[in-house]
Amino acid sequence: MWPKIRYCVGKWAVNVSLLETYEPGIFYDELMLPSGKPRAHSRALAEHLDAMSPTEFAQRARLAETLMMQQGITFNVYGAEGGVERAFPFDLVPRVLTAGEWETIEKGLTQRLTALNLFLWDIYHEQKILKDGVVPRALVMGAVHFRREFMGADPPGGVYVHICGTDLIRDTDGKFYVLEDNLRTPSGVSYMLENRAILARVMPQLFQDMGVRPIADYTSHLLHNLRALAPAHRSDDPTVVLLTPGVYNSAYYEHSYLAQQLGIPLVEGRDLIVEENIVSMKTTHGLKRVDVIYRRVDDDFLDPLIFRPDSQLGVAGLVNAYRAGNVALANSIGTGVADDKVIYAYVPEIIKYYLDQEVILPNVETYPAFEDKHREYILDNLDKLVVKAANESGGYGMLMGPQASLSEREVFAELVKANPRNYIAQPLIHLSRAPAFVEPGHFEGRHIDLRPFALCDRDLRVTIVPGGLTRVALRKGSYVVNSSQGGGSKDTWVLGKESRNA
Amino acid sequence: MLSREADSCFWIGRYVERAEATARMLDVHYHATLEGVPGMLEWESVLAIADCAADFRKRHDQLNERTAIQYFVFDTDNPGSIVSALTYARENARSIREMVASEIWECLNMIYLELKEWDVDKALAGTPHAFFTKIKNAAHLFHGITYRTQLLNETRDWLRVGTFLERADQTVRLLDVKYHDLLPATRAGKPEIGGLGVGGPADIHGWIAVLRSVSAFEMYRKTHREGIHPAGVVDFLVLNPIFPASVRYSIGQTEEALRRVSGTSPSSPATCDPERLVGRLRAELNYARADEIIVGGLHEYLQSVQKRCTEIGGSITKTYLSYQ
Repeated sequence: MWPKIRYCVGKWAVNVSLLETYEPGIFYDELMLPSGKPRAHSRALAEHLDAMSPTEFAQRARLAETLMMQQGITFNVYGAEGGVERAFPFDLVPRVLTAGEWETIEKGLTQRLTALNLFLWDIYHEQKILKDGVVPRALVMGAVHFRREFMGADPPGGVYVHICGTDLIRDTDGKFYVLEDNLRTPSGVSYMLENRAILARVMPQLFQDMGVRPIADYTSHLLHNLRALAPAHRSDDPTVVLLTPGVYNSAYYEHSYLAQQLGIPLVEGRDLIVEENIVSMKTTHGLKRVDVIYRRVDDDFLDPLIFRPDSQLGVAGLVNAYRAGNVALANSIGTGVADDKVIYAYVPEIIKYYLDQEVILPNVETYPAFEDKHREYILDNLDKLVVKAANESGGYGMLMGPQASLSEREVFAELVKANPRNYIAQPLIHLSRAPAFVEPGHFEGRHIDLRPFALCDRDLRVTIVPGGLTRVALRKGSYVVNSSQGGGSKDTWVLGKESRNA
Repeated sequence: MLSREADSCFWIGRYVERAEATARMLDVHYHATLEGVPGMLEWESVLAIADCAADFRKRHDQLNERTAIQYFVFDTDNPGSIVSALTYARENARSIREMVASEIWECLNMIYLELKEWDVDKALAGTPHAFFTKIKNAAHLFHGITYRTQLLNETRDWLRVGTFLERADQTVRLLDVKYHDLLPATRAGKPEIGGLGVGGPADIHGWIAVLRSVSAFEMYRKTHREGIHPAGVVDFLVLNPIFPASVRYSIGQTEEALRRVSGTSPSSPATCDPERLVGRLRAELNYARADEIIVGGLHEYLQSVQKRCTEIGGSITKTYLSYQ
């Protein structure tokens, strides 16, 4: 199909092209059709990839890793003496979305984020949706992240979630489904931006003729939205800061990257002080008032006076300063109730209730154990289902039924019976796959998901840069994409409408 | 800027300077010993400069080039080692990387990663000079990048305060110990080496090494045409107003950076303790004379300067860096 590249393995010269041996398998493959031909929109990309020898590809992969090490885009592998720093695994084969696919995602996420913001306002004020019985009251009031202390508080514009990272997957039918919403302190956007920058440096040729839409304006949108949250009398030149738990947090790289790109101070709790409901930071020239906080510290650790008293990460008095309207928080306090995995099951009803629309991006079929009929089904079918705890993340607190042993399933059956409120089950989704480069020199299909990053301003307008973080389960056969479980990432390309490939 | 960030900048400046000074000292020392002037440049004096003889004895029975380089370069338990200093500098930079130009962070990150690939065997197996040059060049790169990319703002001022306060301190230490080593008259109880007194070849060799260790030899020659003698070296390393590693120049730069932080002109009265302390020291250095210093006791003089540098550092921390 394409010109074959001659290269040497040991002393034998062989003719192999990089994609020739690639097997799309029974899964939806992002690059290839089942026939083994590239999808129309990926043809130019496939040609570029195929024109490269495995040796050359491996060299560029190493160059990318070196760049990441130099820039300190790393995470720590614990256990080895003193910890070993590794570059965050980055697969150089980009994942391509057409303009049409993106349009659906963009509309679907906008609809979802709008409805969830209206839902949050409602449950912290009149609670109409609970009175109308659309979402069970007990579920909301019993959610771990429901903040009773925060009832009746008015965030600027009534918006709770300003930064959202929703996880999407594609099933064997090629359709996108929402796997979960991340409405608290979603991370990964720095990798989206850095992946693009690094790929453009090590594989500039790939971008030729593809019409990839740019994503670099994410930080401009974010800064603009954050500044607009400042109290009215401080809006001329508000002080915006990013609050991090500190250098030991696993997302610290992202915090410092964003602060740098936004040009705002990166503060820790110990840098802030609240006096008479005014938040200030401690500078070499005394106290300086803070107006907006992009906080990457969870609710529980935000204010020892209101939440966990043992926390050193937050600031005493911050919540009252927020309630008094003297400082804005992004995201607001109490958003976690809406990304509870059980509440998730009701999002299509929530969308219908507030927007009177059908859901554009469907949920994965979900059975909350909270409802009796579903619980019975779950307990009868543990070998077919994936069971998840309501508030765990990073691939923890989960049962992969089809792959689990009998005793693991029995343990989970007891957990579900003991605390039905805390569990949901879903059928095993065969996540779509994309080619990943595997040493010494070929591509294999690996399962992927997608986390686009949506921003919502104080007037409920949603902006989403065309792209997102594509996470890859780099371990063969694995469905778990979390970096803590051996996952890596890919650059995500959204093609423009005018692109000849779209 | 945040007090915590200013503190990190201050210490980045100090640690990079410390690593560079240690590399220079070891480099010159290693090569001077090769040229075989027995007893003249003992590794003992390196321990004395760094004020860590007792700590060293706890870890090593013998003092030779291998144990000295292990201790001063690679020992992570020695907070003054090059690896420790550069690790701390890098950790501090990591905690403020949004404040500085990316290149500054990358430069410190890269030398840190590179040093992890080295150990004492590798450093001694090749040419140690190349290894020490690598460290010195990393420090030069750091200063060059800072000079070229960093806004002339408080971040840069705090980097400079740390750099120059540490530089003054290092030059004082070096001179104090070497003077003690080299001046035969003060070597009570030690035999004359090869019968060479002041001005003899061994003495000259030693002073040249001292000057080289702060990269000052050629500049000294241009300044002191009469030749190499103790008062000349003291004059050059302590009092010269335009040599970038002299104590006077370093203290002057420290004061200027502190004045920029507070926004007061160098000629106006001090607005806080650090300005008062550093200004007073600068004034004294401005009006001192090398021969008077030697007559009055060089060791005592240098000890007092060193003590005052420590005092200035403490006062800076109290006033600016540890917000109460």
